[in-house]
Amino acid sequence: MNKSFIAQNPSVLWFLAALGLFTLAVTLLSEATGVGLISTSFVKTLGKTLCLCLIAIAMDVVWGYCGILSLGHFAFFGIGGYAVGMWLMYARTEGIVLESLSGQVIPPTPQEISDAIGNQIFGVVGSSDFPLIWAFADNLFLQLAMVVLIPGLLALVFGWLAFRSRVTGVYLSILTQAMTLALSLYLFQNDSGLRGNNGLSGLQNIPGFEATPQATISIVFFLVSALALGLGYVFFAWVISGKMGSVVKGIRDNEARVRFLGYHVESYKLFIFTITAIISGIAGALYYPQAGIINPGEIAPITSIYLAVWVAIGGRGRLYGAVIGAAFVSLLSSWFTGGGAPDINLGFYTIQWTDWWLVLLGLSFVAVTLFFPKGIGGLFDYLVRKPS
Amino acid sequence: MRRILIAIALCCGSAFSGHAQELQQILQVHADEVAKPSRRSVSVVLEDLVASGLPQVPVFLEKWSAKNVWQREDGVFFIATADGDDLKLQDIDTGGETSAPKSTFKQLKPNGGVRRVIGTALVQFQLSDPDLTRREAAVISIARRPDAAQLAPLVASIEDEPDPALKARKTQLANFLTARFGETPQDRIAAIESLSTDTSVEARSVLNQILTVKSGVSASEPEGNLARILDPSQAPDAFYPQLVEAGLAPAETTPAMIRAVLEANIDGGTVGGVPLAQLNSETARYRAYAALAREGLAPPLVTEDTREYTVGAYVFYELYDEEDPAITDAAATALASVEQRVAIAQTADLALDGLSLASIYFLAAIGLAITFGVMGVINMAHGEFIMMGAYTGYVVQLFVPDYTISILIALPLAFAVTFGAGVTMERLVIRHLYHRPLETLLATFGISIALQQLAKNIFGTQARPLTSPDWLDGAWVMSDVIQISYIRIAIFVLALIFLALILFVLKRTRLGLEVRAVTQNPGMAASMGINPDRINMLTFGLGSGIAGIAGVAIGLYAKVTSEMGSEYIVQSFMTVVVGGVGNVWGTLAGASMIGFLQKGIEWLNPSNTLAAQTYMILFIILFIQFRPKGIVAPKGRAAAD
Repeated sequence: MNKSFIAQNPSVLWFLAALGLFTLAVTLLSEATGVGLISTSFVKTLGKTLCLCLIAIAMDVVWGYCGILSLGHFAFFGIGGYAVGMWLMYARTEGIVLESLSGQVIPPTPQEISDAIGNQIFGVVGSSDFPLIWAFADNLFLQLAMVVLIPGLLALVFGWLAFRSRVTGVYLSILTQAMTLALSLYLFQNDSGLRGNNGLSGLQNIPGFEATPQATISIVFFLVSALALGLGYVFFAWVISGKMGSVVKGIRDNEARVRFLGYHVESYKLFIFTITAIISGIAGALYYPQAGIINPGEIAPITSIYLAVWVAIGGRGRLYGAVIGAAFVSLLSSWFTGGGAPDINLGFYTIQWTDWWLVLLGLSFVAVTLFFPKGIGGLFDYLVRKPS
Repeated sequence: MRRILIAIALCCGSAFSGHAQELQQILQVHADEVAKPSRRSVSVVLEDLVASGLPQVPVFLEKWSAKNVWQREDGVFFIATADGDDLKLQDIDTGGETSAPKSTFKQLKPNGGVRRVIGTALVQFQLSDPDLTRREAAVISIARRPDAAQLAPLVASIEDEPDPALKARKTQLANFLTARFGETPQDRIAAIESLSTDTSVEARSVLNQILTVKSGVSASEPEGNLARILDPSQAPDAFYPQLVEAGLAPAETTPAMIRAVLEANIDGGTVGGVPLAQLNSETARYRAYAALAREGLAPPLVTEDTREYTVGAYVFYELYDEEDPAITDAAATALASVEQRVAIAQTADLALDGLSLASIYFLAAIGLAITFGVMGVINMAHGEFIMMGAYTGYVVQLFVPDYTISILIALPLAFAVTFGAGVTMERLVIRHLYHRPLETLLATFGISIALQQLAKNIFGTQARPLTSPDWLDGAWVMSDVIQISYIRIAIFVLALIFLALILFVLKRTRLGLEVRAVTQNPGMAASMGINPDRINMLTFGLGSGIAGIAGVAIGLYAKVTSEMGSEYIVQSFMTVVVGGVGNVWGTLAGASMIGFLQKGIEWLNPSNTLAAQTYMILFIILFIQFRPKGIVAPKGRAAAD
């Protein structure tokens, strides 16, 4: 049992190699290097997909390994995005305001600057005062700390409450769903301090790098996302290996038995729940600067259910399965809904995929659940086992 | 009849012309005001006309107001109607008819304001008019614009009023008018006290009008009927502008003003001795401004401290417009008592709202309580069954134009459609997943998004109408405060029927017995000769069918869209979970709790229903911590989970 965690998870090396090759290829072919075979917007799509893969492996650990079907992990993803978005929006608006005020004869006071920024940011919701939660918005490092701290704390408190009272199974799923619904409803209010349903926008403009072309910025974010995914993969592979991993999987398979063996089940669950929430927050913080806009609709309950769908389609209980599921479904989804797929003319009716993609996705999802419970990842088992 | 009376009166009038006046005479006295009336001048004329007590006055006033009075060149007034180039003239006093060419006459055209004043004066004549509709119109007109002058004629007209309903209304109105304009304080206080049990909006507005205040500020305590002294130290910023307005203090110096003054007084790179570059802080700006103020280049600086100090030196008060403290005291007491009653009525109204919301949640969740609660199957497509029911209702209305009949067809049809859909889904999908509950959740979610998109493809994205029959329009109004729409009553009744029906099916029928047996122990039930497959299929169909009927009911008052199901699904799950899985009574308790709670929170913060939902969900999350298995703890297959 003392094998290194990489030896227990041979997929780690394969995955890192594949990710490295993929990253290298995309970087070389992007507009940033001048080749331009891959457009900047597609680099952004790929970068966003990597972030989705990161939250998918977090979901896989909490669901596929620990057996907690959380339908609220996108709440943490959104919080991470909001935390970074606040700094991006504040710093950029500050730059614009300072520039517009610099022409005046009398130099502006700090109060005037802050009022002008407040007006710019909160004008859309009919306010100009900075709410308390924006207290650290001018400091990138504190906001980055919040990317980790707020999802972590929320998950810790929520998980502690839920696991302590032994809310399990379906009940826990519905409870997590209620959590993300409550959060998104709260953020939809104009007086929530985060611009209501307007959300935060203009996040693709990085303060201090106004002169840098988007092609370069997008490739940098792509690389950072790839790095985060690689590190996240290794980290989770380590978490689920060894004794810790065995206990966690034991909880999934028979919680009562693990408890009777003397393990403190709640602590393990709480640890897994919190750590995956933090990784989700980091994934969100990388995702939204590439998406450019975040609004409360992003953390509506349905997105978290989609997350579970990706993991299930990719194959639960294997980290690469989650990556495959998230990448496959989200890329396919943007191909179909973006009008990339050709319409099918049946003579009497033309199937337009923008209308019919969701129907196909829903039904294929039923099919996967019924006939391929191991998901796409199950194909690898088939390939690996065949020679022996 | 009236003509004859007028004629008789006129004969008498001409016989004793030394004593009785003629209307024409009075009009001639005020000829200029009558010919060119203004809102102010006309009241003098009207006073004289009313005081004369002549019976022809109301007729004249009506004609005048209707622009049917013309003036001859020599100044004599006639009631006239145009007839081609001629005028059909009618003498104002005698009523004798003649005819004359139009050219020598001028039409009187009182403007809207004047006509309104005339109308008010006319009211007292109309109060005793033999025509019921005119009397009613007069009463409505008084209620709309109460006036001291109307009190006496109104009271006088009560006794001879033949219509009992109108008589009661007149008495009530007279009471309102007495409260505001009664002659003696005793009359007014008595009237005010009688209002202390009246919760109608009208009575409250009467009391509020008696209690209107004017706010003011002075150096010492003011004379008059004092309502209250305000404490300015709570918010000096809000009170200071009053001082400025009263001319008791200089206007405050805002940062923007300081900035403007500084910009206007730049003197070779410095302002008031402070270099421009240093002016990026408040203190430096104050320093520069103070220097300018000393030189007389700017008004004195009014800072927050001076504002606070100045405000403290004055008395801010509110004075009643009514001068008699006995009356305002009585009105305040009466209003307090009325408001207490209104608060009770509002609580009752809130309870009704909560009840109707609870019945909607109950309807939406009861089908789920069967599939999720009894069978332990998480059906994420439950919301889409609600949607299918609502669209069934819409389609039926396309073919059956009579709304009553179409609803009667839609209810069983919606049940049939969703029963079929539910059974199909159970046979094809759910049957294979009974041992994997979390995967049922995901599979049914797949069905849910497919159905939703399908509905969008068929019916489009815009909301479709599901119109309720006429007899469900409107609301049951119990008082100005308590009312509830008939649709909500119908939904409540429907919820009750379903509660009874489901309890009956589960507790009193063979099917219910078998369902409960399969729920408790499928293996044992099977060995007793019950076919669990068949029972599961029927139970799932029943739950789905009820969702369809709920869909028709919900569609009647909400929009029918492809997304309507997803709005209810999370709420429905929470209803079932809070209530306790596996128990119809639990669902009822859960729906009641969530419904009343949501209305209660909305009442605390009426402007923000989103916040109400947020707090309610937070409450539910906390509630589940303390009762993880819901209000009514479950038994059966779900309890093992």
